[in-house]
Amino acid sequence: MSFLEVNDLRKSFASPDGGQSLVVDVETFSITNGELCGMRGESGSGKTTFLHLLAGILSPDKGLIVFDGTEVSKLNESARDHLRASDIGYVFQSFNLLQGLNCFENVMMAMAFADNSDESRAKELLDRVGLSHRLNHYPSQLSIGQQQRVALARALANRPKLVLADEPTGNLDPANARIALNLLRELCVEVGAALLLVSHDEKVVSGFDKNFDWKDINRAFAQAMKE
Amino acid sequence: MFFSGPWVILFLALRGLRQYAFSTIVASLAIALAGGLFVGTWKIKEEAKNAFSRSAGGYDAVLGARGSKLQLVLNALFHLEASPGNLSWEQYELIRGTRGVSEAYPLAVGDNYHGFRLVGTLSEMFEKHEWRKGRKYMAQPGGRFFTDNAKEALVGGFVARKLGLKVGDTFHPYHGLIFKEEAKHKDIYVVVGILEATGTPADKVIWIPIKGIQLMDGHDPKTASDVSAVLLNLKGSAGFMLDMKYNKQGNVATLAWPVAGTLASFFERLVWFQRVLEVIAYLVAFVAVCVILAILRNAMNERRREIAILRSLGARRSTVTAVVLVQAVLITLFGILGAFISYLGIGLFAASVVREQTGVLLEPFTYDPSFLYVPIGMLAVGLLSGFLPALQAYRSDVAKNLVQQS
Repeated sequence: MSFLEVNDLRKSFASPDGGQSLVVDVETFSITNGELCGMRGESGSGKTTFLHLLAGILSPDKGLIVFDGTEVSKLNESARDHLRASDIGYVFQSFNLLQGLNCFENVMMAMAFADNSDESRAKELLDRVGLSHRLNHYPSQLSIGQQQRVALARALANRPKLVLADEPTGNLDPANARIALNLLRELCVEVGAALLLVSHDEKVVSGFDKNFDWKDINRAFAQAMKE
Repeated sequence: MFFSGPWVILFLALRGLRQYAFSTIVASLAIALAGGLFVGTWKIKEEAKNAFSRSAGGYDAVLGARGSKLQLVLNALFHLEASPGNLSWEQYELIRGTRGVSEAYPLAVGDNYHGFRLVGTLSEMFEKHEWRKGRKYMAQPGGRFFTDNAKEALVGGFVARKLGLKVGDTFHPYHGLIFKEEAKHKDIYVVVGILEATGTPADKVIWIPIKGIQLMDGHDPKTASDVSAVLLNLKGSAGFMLDMKYNKQGNVATLAWPVAGTLASFFERLVWFQRVLEVIAYLVAFVAVCVILAILRNAMNERRREIAILRSLGARRSTVTAVVLVQAVLITLFGILGAFISYLGIGLFAASVVREQTGVLLEPFTYDPSFLYVPIGMLAVGLLSGFLPALQAYRSDVAKNLVQQS
């Protein structure tokens, strides 16, 4: 039974020449509950746009996204915000931590938008990613690897059903990339979250329950390549 | 607590301001200055008007030489400016005997002691006159009023404190209203009493018998019986009658009546000054608004990504908009707090200068509607200045500002 299902999804943006540029054109795509998936794709091929559509950050021009029985594409913005806060964790390549907040506050802030103020959960997660001694440190006081671990803790704070990871190791050295990937997998398994990790790097996306190739999924990119 | 409900908005707003602490302080200071100036301009003007009226010493009118009524009032009641001239003793006796004149006290000026004026009058003024309803002059314990035929002095409380004079001390008066070492009179006066503080200009002069001024060594014997002014209290329609007699029909003396009306004309003359202060306050307020706008807009430019991150975490548009508006309100609230602190300084300074110069006691911290209206107005303006940046936050493009595209 598919837990995340995409059908005939299209998204285009205004191009500089005044026309429309089709960035995402996905006929079908699905993930089952708790499934850990990797997807490889070229830079600039629309992967991030696809993840934004799944997370409800962008709304599609056309098509269907069904997430855990809810038709995301038909939700209003406020409902999508709520869905994102409570059921979707997002991990970015550049971590996107809030610079004015310390580690603990960064995790708590993600929980706050889901009406969750369980401080012990935040501390437990930071402990789980090996940062219990850095609760009051600000992002600028952490190493790159530590920052990504805070971002992982933040993404998993609300026990999401789906974690979207956009080039999560892109800014990390190989050792830290390995640590981050292992943690991400472990944490997703622990909370039972499905994972969709996208990367341009073949090595990063290998070894998951399911592996996708973005060029096979996004017809718009395949078409652009042909042209 | 800070991570639930509306506290998140306050928390994020405070953290945002902390991130831009210097700009926040600058904006708050600008608002504080504008607010302090606004309240100061209005309250001190009103308080000065009231205080001068309160400090008129309980007199209805002043009779003096032909000239400006305002100069007469300022000279006779507030011991400021020079006397416009003299009246003869006969004129004093004439008005004293006029029907409808309930009190008449002659004043003579022209000498000082270390810059504080010596004012000659009759001791009955201290014994009979109520300087405020139900309040008569009193000498501090251990002292008394002067005797009319002796070289005795009753020193105003402010002067006694400034010069360290006490009962039993003696001094030589100096000629003129401005202290000059070489203008020392030979006469020696003995302090017989210190006047209990009244918060009126009576506190900042040295009172001596009128004959003392008139007969002071070195004064012109031809004017020995002249008086500088006569302080009057009137009954019934005496004011109209005397106004007609002295101001409209006569050409020898001027009657400043009613005193409150003369003082009001004085404050009307100062309207231009108040207007200038108001314009300055408006300009500072305008600058403050621009500063808030600039700070929040700059912060917005730098914070687009943060807003996008918050939105990606599930924050609603309304939440990030509210954060910016709350920041504008917080900056304004800090400014309002600062405005009251700056007004505290302005009020204390103004009160001290007025007290020093005129003896009039300002009460700058009694309630005034401007204490309420100015902060409310500032808050409205602050909120307004946050509106544009808040709109930017509302319209912020999340996907674009999350930066990473692949």
